[in-house]
Amino acid sequence: MGDILVWAIWILAAGACLGSGIAVVSFGNPFFSALALIGNLASLAVLFLLASAEFLAAAQVLVYAGAVMVMFLFVIAYLGGRADTPFEGGPSWVSAGAVVAATALLVEIVVVIGLKAGDALSREADIERSFGSPAEIGRLFLTDHLLAFEITSIVLLVAAIGGVILGTKTRDEDELDRLGESA
Amino acid sequence: MRGPDVSWYLIVSAILFSIGVLGVILRRSPLIVLLSLEIMLNAANLALISFARLHGDHDGQIFALAVMAVAASEVVVGLGLIVAVARRKLVLDVDRFRVLRG
Amino acid sequence: MTQGAWLCLLAPLGGAWAITVMGDSISRRTAAWISTISVFTAFAGALVSFVALLRKGAEERETMTTAWTWLSTGSFDVGLSLLIDPLSVTMMLIVSGVGGLIVLYSVGYMEGDPEERRYFAYMSFFVFSMLLLVQAGNFLILLVGWGLVGLASYLLIGFWHNRPEAVAAAKKAFIMNAFGDATMALAFFVLIWQTGTLEFAPAFAGAADLSSTALNLVALGLLGGAVAKSAQIPLHTWLPDAMEGPTPVSALIHAATMVTAGVYLIVRAHPIFELAPSIQDLAAGLGAITLLVAGLVALVQTDIKRVIAYSTMSQIGYMFLAVGLGAYSNGMFHLMTHAFFKALLFMAAGLVIHHLAGEQDIRKMGGVRRIMPRTYIAFLIGSLALVGIPPLSGFFSKDSILAAALASGGYGQVLFAFGLVGALLTGLYTFRLFFIVFRGEPSPLVEEHAHGHHGEGPWTMTVPVAVLTLLAVIGGWIQIAGLWHYFGDWLHDVAEPLVEPTVTQDYIASALAVGLGLAGMAIAWIFYAAPRRRPLPRLAAARDILEHKFYFDELYDAVFYKPAVWISAQGKRFVEDPLIGGSITGVTSGARRAGGALGEAQTGYLRTYALAIAGGVAVLIVVFVAVQ
Repeated sequence: MGDILVWAIWILAAGACLGSGIAVVSFGNPFFSALALIGNLASLAVLFLLASAEFLAAAQVLVYAGAVMVMFLFVIAYLGGRADTPFEGGPSWVSAGAVVAATALLVEIVVVIGLKAGDALSREADIERSFGSPAEIGRLFLTDHLLAFEITSIVLLVAAIGGVILGTKTRDEDELDRLGESA
Repeated sequence: MRGPDVSWYLIVSAILFSIGVLGVILRRSPLIVLLSLEIMLNAANLALISFARLHGDHDGQIFALAVMAVAASEVVVGLGLIVAVARRKLVLDVDRFRVLRG
Repeated sequence: MTQGAWLCLLAPLGGAWAITVMGDSISRRTAAWISTISVFTAFAGALVSFVALLRKGAEERETMTTAWTWLSTGSFDVGLSLLIDPLSVTMMLIVSGVGGLIVLYSVGYMEGDPEERRYFAYMSFFVFSMLLLVQAGNFLILLVGWGLVGLASYLLIGFWHNRPEAVAAAKKAFIMNAFGDATMALAFFVLIWQTGTLEFAPAFAGAADLSSTALNLVALGLLGGAVAKSAQIPLHTWLPDAMEGPTPVSALIHAATMVTAGVYLIVRAHPIFELAPSIQDLAAGLGAITLLVAGLVALVQTDIKRVIAYSTMSQIGYMFLAVGLGAYSNGMFHLMTHAFFKALLFMAAGLVIHHLAGEQDIRKMGGVRRIMPRTYIAFLIGSLALVGIPPLSGFFSKDSILAAALASGGYGQVLFAFGLVGALLTGLYTFRLFFIVFRGEPSPLVEEHAHGHHGEGPWTMTVPVAVLTLLAVIGGWIQIAGLWHYFGDWLHDVAEPLVEPTVTQDYIASALAVGLGLAGMAIAWIFYAAPRRRPLPRLAAARDILEHKFYFDELYDAVFYKPAVWISAQGKRFVEDPLIGGSITGVTSGARRAGGALGEAQTGYLRTYALAIAGGVAVLIVVFVAVQ
């Protein structure tokens, strides 16, 4: 019984994930695309939970859906109407090529998983209940993967600085804006 | 493990990744491109988590966390660029930025 | 003694180097004197070696001194070595002694020429090269000296490089000599291949075991080089043209030293020639033919230097005749006396040319005796020596050759006849020149220059002429047939003669030669100097052939030059322009097109780049999966 429940949740989550993914890519209005992405992130979080990655699921919702998507929505709101872009135009062979490349990638990965990997993918390791818990992750961050932890913090710092620099107005832009206002 | 095998997770990840690739190449709005990029990153994260579960090893999850942090940083910079472009009153169309044409 | 030899070799090189390095910072006069002193220093070194060699017993007169191993490949080693033996010391003395006198003469002759320094550097360099050639201890160093001498000759013939004739003459000399160099190199290759060495003694010892074809090839190759360098038929056409160079150059290089290098080579390599007797006979034959042809052509020349040049060719023919028959010391004896009187003749002619402000056409001269009496005497003595009138030097040396020819059996006697005819011609052309230039009433040109500056010439020019005049007189007295033969003894161990004429043969040869020489002089008198001169016989056809120098130049032009030009034109049309030029332009235009085509990939569209990445990843996955 529990198994069937797990399966059902899994299928629902997977379907939502893929559906929202397609939605992100196909909507014309970026606002709707962003909302679809939030849905995608949420269903992914469910999948994470099913794969015993509890901390990561939580982080996904907090960081991604919470911070990153909010940022996106802010920018979309700031841009307003200028953010809309039609689908068509540009070189068509790019479109054909894109479809081919994406399909090729998919097929290849499926082939690998299905044919080449063989039994390797069906023998899962036994895990304890604390697998994927925040305590475990935290312990690893401070012992085995300390370097990754520190470097990641530096990356975030750099990104923050970069964002601030990109956000400041230059003097020319300032003048232009003031001119625009006074005119 | 209850529920589907690791291979099912991987297939979902693969499909999600392809969707992301399509989005990056086919859409002309930089915002949508960034969103598609996020999809691709998330697909990778899903694969990492699945393998972590397969091997019973936390390394995949640690890696996925690092990916998440980097993705966030990249979004910051990307959005900053888009805002800068918009402020210069340029049209937000990826095909218009052809200055590096050889 | 070895220091003497090294000093002899290196002093002129040092002089040339000093002049070159100091360039414009020294005056032209200083450069001239540096060169002169360096050559006289070489003479001093040669004297030291000579004396040292004299003091040793006859058996031990051979010293080899090696500076270092120059070339070492596989089993073949060659050192930078000098050989000091009677033969090389003789040549050293002649080259540095006569050379020193000629360089001193140049100090006066070349005064005022704007490029004097270059001239004296070249002269010193030439003396060094010639000394390297004669002192070489093995064939390879000899070849080095051989080549350098050819280079020096080219540089000096073309000294007045603003004159196209001089440049053409220099090129002609160099190319003909290059042919000889090539045959010599081939001979050396065969030697190395068969005997494994280029040192003299081991090569000669090893040569005894070679097949006759190999020996003939080696000897023929050596003969080819000798013929080219010594301007014998058929490689003689460069020598008359070489008179475009300054007169001291003609005296030094094309009379006394360089052109005698061929004779020296044959004497030095005589063991090989003796093992290839047909080639040695060929050498004698070529000498005989040359002496005859050159004598005939000299009869119609109108340039004072060209007459003397053909005379040189003819006299070297005598030397080849001698060494071809195995009379080595006789040939070398004539080489020495010829150096004296031929250099004397050239320098006396140079005095005349210098006094007449560069005029060389004898048809414009006449009665020079009136304005240059001492030059007249010098030229007279030189001419008498050349014809071989006793007791001057030429008599002893030339007659020794003729006697050796007489003593050499049937073939030798045929060549003897050639030599006698040559003696007649020598008297004829020499005194034709003498009478036309010096006797009679002064021509208008001579009248113009009747009062020249410093008498007949500065002391730097007259002193060497005087010294050479003396040598031309007494130089032959060290070997008088039937009485004493110091020269022959001196060279005996180096090159044992193959023939020894009897005293009777000596006398017969001398009598005939002198008689014919006097007859030639008399004929010249009849046509050119007698108070009532007979007109010259017409003989238009003969005159034509002689004036065209037996059409050798035209023959070579048609056989070698024109086909070569045609081939190179074809090459240019069919190979160079389309293929090589085309391939180069093809490469450039192809590169440009390829670049343009590749540039198409830089579309500037972000999306195509992303597509490229995605496509690339797809391909890579396939590769990874396939390779596992």
